[in-house]
Amino acid sequence: MNNILGTITAIDTDGNLSLVDITVSEDIRMSALIVETPEHCPWLKAGKKAKVLFKETEVSIARNLSGQISLRNRFMATITRIRSEGMLAEITLASAEHEVVSIITSRSAQRMELKTGDQVEWLVKANEVSLTGN
Amino acid sequence: MIEIAVSKRLHTAEGPMDLLFNGIIGKGEFITLFGPSGAGKTTLLRMVAGLTLPDAGAIVVNGQAWFDSTRRINLSPRQRSIGMVFQDYALFPNLTVAENIGIALPKEKRSTIVSELLEVAGLQELAGRKPDKLSGGQRQRVALARALALKPAILLLDEPLSALDLQMRLKLQDELLYLHQRYQPTTLLVSHDLSEVFRLSRRVFVLDRGEVTRSGSPTEVFSQSKISNKFRFNGEVVHIKPSGVVYIVHVLVGQDVVQVIASEQERASLTVGKRVLIASKAFNPLIMTLEE
Repeated sequence: MNNILGTITAIDTDGNLSLVDITVSEDIRMSALIVETPEHCPWLKAGKKAKVLFKETEVSIARNLSGQISLRNRFMATITRIRSEGMLAEITLASAEHEVVSIITSRSAQRMELKTGDQVEWLVKANEVSLTGN
Repeated sequence: MIEIAVSKRLHTAEGPMDLLFNGIIGKGEFITLFGPSGAGKTTLLRMVAGLTLPDAGAIVVNGQAWFDSTRRINLSPRQRSIGMVFQDYALFPNLTVAENIGIALPKEKRSTIVSELLEVAGLQELAGRKPDKLSGGQRQRVALARALALKPAILLLDEPLSALDLQMRLKLQDELLYLHQRYQPTTLLVSHDLSEVFRLSRRVFVLDRGEVTRSGSPTEVFSQSKISNKFRFNGEVVHIKPSGVVYIVHVLVGQDVVQVIASEQERASLTVGKRVLIASKAFNPLIMTLEE
């Protein structure tokens, strides 16, 4: 599980859903779509600290990504480690001062010729991002 | 309904400790007393059974005082409608399974009740065996059947399953649930196994150094996670299987085993038997109707 501490900067609520913006560092502002509202959740307030949680297997990796994409959670990173065994590969990334891990298929890692030191982008859908009060 | 309000000074290795317990337990409820050893759980059970005398207070069961220090009432264990099961089986070695179950029953009712219990507890095949020819799990099943034979108002269970291996423990937990549903004795279980608390009881009292520090449903008491996920469950790790760079973790949730992928880093904190919270986003699960 990727676990990054950030500060909630904005909350947009519609019914029981909230789209929450969290600033993790200057370059990383993440969005999380959650089934929760500030009304019912004491820590879901702008200015409060929250941990951003997302599964390694939900993190996609892209290189030279062009065209339009609906995802807003996309950030530059450098590959620091690749561990590939059988069907899956674990790609460790340094993104700003944070470490993010992605698990993708070994097939994709090979197709993209990923190697340590490469500049890539990592992406995660807002509805795959969980939050927990700090 | 059981009303317990008792106190007793205990002399422990770390000096004197005051055991205080105040609680009302509904008829047919399944309660656990959870906490580290030396917290006073077993002493409390023994006070309900009449085996240990409280310093002060009262124990009132369905309106009848079993103990009342101000009125100088103290029923003997035999006068209290209780069934007990402990960790060590305490069966009579020279009696058969059927005789063990029927030992306390009046002659005229004995055969009817014993055959019913043998059937309900799945012990028919073993009725004629002596305890030394039984496995640990079978012995505890006999002890449980014996404890239920007199249809006690209160069933007292002091870590009855802790000597059994995981698989047998899970099986007996299911049987215990079934027996509880069928006979509905008000049940007090002493346990320090968190998964047992979750699987068996609706309400838990956490004891520490003689005091109730928390009480409520197991989820209220133990799941203090602030995670936002609405799709989440408490479970117990039953198996961990490596698969390349990830692990497939089997988690027992209620009666079902689900599988969760864990990374190397997640795996590091997991061991078989560990209680875990598993959570997913409410956006992920597929939902479809079942054939009726």
